[in-house]
Amino acid sequence: MNGAPASRWLGAWGVGFLALLYVPIALIFVYSFNSNVVNMMAWEGFTLDWYRSILGLPTQLAKSDNYVQSTATLLAAVRNSLVVATFATLVSTAIGTATALAIARHRFRLRRLYQGLLVLPMVMPDIVLGIALLIFFVSLGLDLGLHTIIAGHCVFLSSYVFVVVSTRLAGMATDLEEASSDLGASPWVTFRRVTLPQIAPGIAGGALLAFIISMDDLVITYFIAGVDSATLPLFIYGILRRGIKPEINALAMLLLAFSFLVAATGLWLRSRRQ
Amino acid sequence: MSPRSSRRWALAGLLTPATLLLAGCFLVPLGIMATYSVLSPGLYGGVEWEFYPYNYGRVLGAPLGDAEEFDPVYAGILLRSLRLAAVTVVVCLCLCYPAAFWVSRLPGARKNLVLFLVTLPFFANLIIRVYAWMLVLRPTGVLTRAFDAVGLGAHAPDLMFTEGAVVIGLAYVLLPFMFLPLYASIEKLDPALLQASSDLGASPLQGFLRVTLPLTAPGILGGSVLVFIPAFGNFVVPALMGGAKVMLVGNTIEQQFLAARNWPFGAALAMLVLGIILIAMLAYAWRFGRVDGAVRP
Repeated sequence: MNGAPASRWLGAWGVGFLALLYVPIALIFVYSFNSNVVNMMAWEGFTLDWYRSILGLPTQLAKSDNYVQSTATLLAAVRNSLVVATFATLVSTAIGTATALAIARHRFRLRRLYQGLLVLPMVMPDIVLGIALLIFFVSLGLDLGLHTIIAGHCVFLSSYVFVVVSTRLAGMATDLEEASSDLGASPWVTFRRVTLPQIAPGIAGGALLAFIISMDDLVITYFIAGVDSATLPLFIYGILRRGIKPEINALAMLLLAFSFLVAATGLWLRSRRQ
Repeated sequence: MSPRSSRRWALAGLLTPATLLLAGCFLVPLGIMATYSVLSPGLYGGVEWEFYPYNYGRVLGAPLGDAEEFDPVYAGILLRSLRLAAVTVVVCLCLCYPAAFWVSRLPGARKNLVLFLVTLPFFANLIIRVYAWMLVLRPTGVLTRAFDAVGLGAHAPDLMFTEGAVVIGLAYVLLPFMFLPLYASIEKLDPALLQASSDLGASPLQGFLRVTLPLTAPGILGGSVLVFIPAFGNFVVPALMGGAKVMLVGNTIEQQFLAARNWPFGAALAMLVLGIILIAMLAYAWRFGRVDGAVRP
């Protein structure tokens, strides 16, 4: 490549790339403060009413079906999402970590098969897993609800935790573990005192990732959610199907702030470790 | 207990939860879905327990030796989904390749910051990232207003509910899947090799085609697989940005389950999607040895 002009083009392209990533999000941010109640796309003035409205605070807005039905439905969706994400994260972190330990520290015949099987739920299109689970739960005669969503999320979240913890285990020397067992520590004590402290950051990272993915999942949840177990993404999807409402901007910003905060914490923790 | 048998018990204990979960909530559901796909649809939803290959015949027609139920609409939807997924891959590749090059040449601290910025939107809710583009592309949206502002209002493209909108939405949502594997392989590229090729008289284009491109091929292929798979089966983006005009296979499956209530046909469509994806993945694994190499080539 010949010197300055080429790299200047590359730099311009890179900055454009970052702009492409962030401008659409920035637009939501700007419009979330627009006080125009008639045409949400035309800027009128600054207001916090959309935020106040989704939080159930008193606003100057006239009642209209233009807005999100009720704060109660929204809060129920938020609660459902948090319940699902919390339980699914706890279960899948335990399962994913146990499996990663088994694969990394033991040699057995079906090892390759397990590795392949664990990757599958991540690479399979969501819709296939979603309808397979729907048919399964319905043939079992289960009522769809939060419990089916949690079970469904555990399937693919375990795979993500498995991959993150495995990466951590692969980058870790085994000599400390060997020394500990040579010195007479039982496998459990070795795990508790030597292995666990070393892979703890990996487990925390995997759990964080699992939590975010669970909060974000729409497609699989869409098929296995019951009538009154809509999660937050489902709630938003439902509104968007019926048309865009100005409060969505404020809701989207709150949600973005939440996931960026969680993600930034995770990425920051990881960069500090290295 | 001997150490060997205690290690065996530990292994069994570690593997049992995953085995139960994968068998119970993954393999068995997939098996039931496969079974449903060859059963006859019941009159009022549900299934009749009789062998019925025409679910596949409806899409594939003649290859199964029975064109009776064949409806070219479904083959068309499948082909359109494949085409739009391929276009999405190309768009992501063209956007990410120069950008990944740029990032790989940034000095240390700034490189980390930019990598952080590129990864961050990936954690934002998918539905919100789709919504952002709805704001831009909708008929009264930001794009139209931008055209108005520069006096070209009459020429503003009406992209919403077109294939173009679906590709834009898919590409935006899936960009990080292309960027990260590309970046991983470009980062490993030794600039000395390019220098050597130019010292030996190769033009920049030759250098790119003969050195850069082959060496970054694993990243290109890995990213392409990671973008193609979710693009192909997606139904959220086409439902919100394609409307009824751009039906993809994901929407068709959803309709069969939630509106038409023809579960066996929906299951057959899902099996076809799964089959195509598996072929793509096997081809990739056969070429590069490992399936999980996609993320870290």
